[in-house]
Amino acid sequence: MNRGKTIRVLLVDDEPAIRRALKTALHELGFYTVEASRGEEALLLVRGQEFDAVLLDINMPGIGGIRTLERLRAFAPRLPILMLTVRDEEEDKVEALERGADDYITKPFSIRECVARIRATVRRARTPERAEDAPISIGDIEVQPAQRIVKKAGKPIRLTPKEYDILYYLMAHAGRAVTYGRLLASVWGADYREEVDYLRTFVRQLRKKIEDEPSNPVYLLTDACVGYRFSEGSPRRRRDEQIHSGEAYLPLA
Amino acid sequence: MTASGPNSSGAPERTPVPHPQAGQLFAASAASGTVVRMHKFGASEPIPKSGDAERLGELLRSAAQLDLHQKPGPQLASLIRSTFAVEAVAIFDADLSETYQAGEWYSDPEQAVRNICVFETVRDDPETGQIARVLRVGTMPIGGLLVRGELTEDVAGSIAALTAITFDRWHSLANEMRLESAKRAEQMRTTVLDSLAHAYKTPLTAIRAASSGLVEMGGLTAPQGGLVSLIEEQAELLNQLTTRLLKTARLEAQTLNLETIAIAPFVDEIVTGAREQLGAVQVRIEVAREDLTLRADRSLLQALLTQYIENAGKYADAESVVTIAVVEQPSAVAVSVHNFGPAIPAADYERIFDRYFRSERAQASGTGLGLSIAKQAALAHGGDVWVTSDAIAGTTFFASLPSTKDEVSA
Repeated sequence: MNRGKTIRVLLVDDEPAIRRALKTALHELGFYTVEASRGEEALLLVRGQEFDAVLLDINMPGIGGIRTLERLRAFAPRLPILMLTVRDEEEDKVEALERGADDYITKPFSIRECVARIRATVRRARTPERAEDAPISIGDIEVQPAQRIVKKAGKPIRLTPKEYDILYYLMAHAGRAVTYGRLLASVWGADYREEVDYLRTFVRQLRKKIEDEPSNPVYLLTDACVGYRFSEGSPRRRRDEQIHSGEAYLPLA
Repeated sequence: MTASGPNSSGAPERTPVPHPQAGQLFAASAASGTVVRMHKFGASEPIPKSGDAERLGELLRSAAQLDLHQKPGPQLASLIRSTFAVEAVAIFDADLSETYQAGEWYSDPEQAVRNICVFETVRDDPETGQIARVLRVGTMPIGGLLVRGELTEDVAGSIAALTAITFDRWHSLANEMRLESAKRAEQMRTTVLDSLAHAYKTPLTAIRAASSGLVEMGGLTAPQGGLVSLIEEQAELLNQLTTRLLKTARLEAQTLNLETIAIAPFVDEIVTGAREQLGAVQVRIEVAREDLTLRADRSLLQALLTQYIENAGKYADAESVVTIAVVEQPSAVAVSVHNFGPAIPAADYERIFDRYFRSERAQASGTGLGLSIAKQAALAHGGDVWVTSDAIAGTTFFASLPSTKDEVSA
């Protein structure tokens, strides 16, 4: 794997204008890019050269984004894949995440958001796998899986077993969008994939225990219509990222 | 069409075929006051022509086969004239307010045939040879029939009944087709809107990526940066507009998918999901009881609440508190979102929910679609939306959704 500075991105979108804009901007910001206009083409390219990340449009003619994703995954299980979607395609986003996409970016997006997402995904992929029992610490929340202990700012918090399971799963996948279905299946079992209301009730309780302001969470975030995402890194940084990746244009200093 | 030509004045040669509707027709004429008296004729009445029943059967068959994509009046007028060999026929359709004539009228029968319907005149006038009948559906007059020629009372009544039934059939068919075509037009509109909105996303993505890319590369002068920010800002506005259009199109095409929703976690979820739009605004949530549930369509209810919350966030005074309250009413659940901020003029209370309406106070960017989405979502559930606003007390948007307690969740 290329551990140097240059991140090699395979850009898959059937729209030439989008490829052109992305290629120019990403190149200028220090990325190396290769373009493909179809899923079929992308599958050929990954066999011939190494990439650090794939930006994959979900709606494409030919085999389309989802099937391309499945085949890419089968070929390269750890290759970071980010789906390019449109806001109202929630079902597609969920499907892509459940079929192994690392994240999604909603069109239209800013280059800043796109770059931040690529970097975060590549960073996660390069981080060595954490041992099952290794403690996880994010912000002032700390989990010790071996003892099933959770602390906030050093003080133990009492969680029910299910609350703990939810928290542990989300923290072990921090930064990633975790779909309702995946979380339900992992905590309750595959038969409970549809019980979203059930999950919501637990998340509500969990937020009361770990967040300072449960209606304004900084750790356990809602990924609208898709699922949850546990904040990566300290909440302060997460907030800054959010502003940067938000809709607002940031004037030059 | 089996409409017999003008030669049908002669006795029909074929064997009369009993028509399934003929019995009904005679019954109808009996019901409308004309008694069928085949063997009992008054002196002044025309002698029944042999074959009256056959002629009625003929007319009935022809009427049953009329092309109902066209107005039946003109066709019926000429059918009656030719089948019964009368001199002239005039029919008035009150619903369309139109008169149809066949044969030769010496003076315009329009007023006369209208009056039959208006004054409900049933008359046989031997002086002028004119026969007047009211066309009725049930007891309601729907038109008039005026014939100059010889017909027995019974035959005249039957013709009137047949004409009324045909008009009624045509009107219900026309209504059905109107509904059908309105539905098709709506579907078409939704599809067009949907694909249009999707088509807009591609250029918007390229514009956004290009303009934000310029910013990221840096090195822009202040005026250049200003222009780039204008491009981004306007592209974002266009993006919101297309997203909303897409949402309204979907909303209108959608059928309700009811499920039992636990309100407290549902509201939580929406508030935490709308965090970016809420900025520094504080949110307080007051739900009547923790285990309150509602049968509703999740995505519609979400669209409604998200809209209210985003709206409150947009107009709330800085650092103020937005309050989301859910209360139980005898047969409904009422959701309200309150914010402190500029008041909405009372004159706009209704219009603010109309599509594309933008209030004078709407200084913040917007598309004029959001609240109409909320309204549609509530209406789809048989609920309602309204707003109260006051410069001091603040603005509260309400939505009331009927709770169907008898419905047991699946």
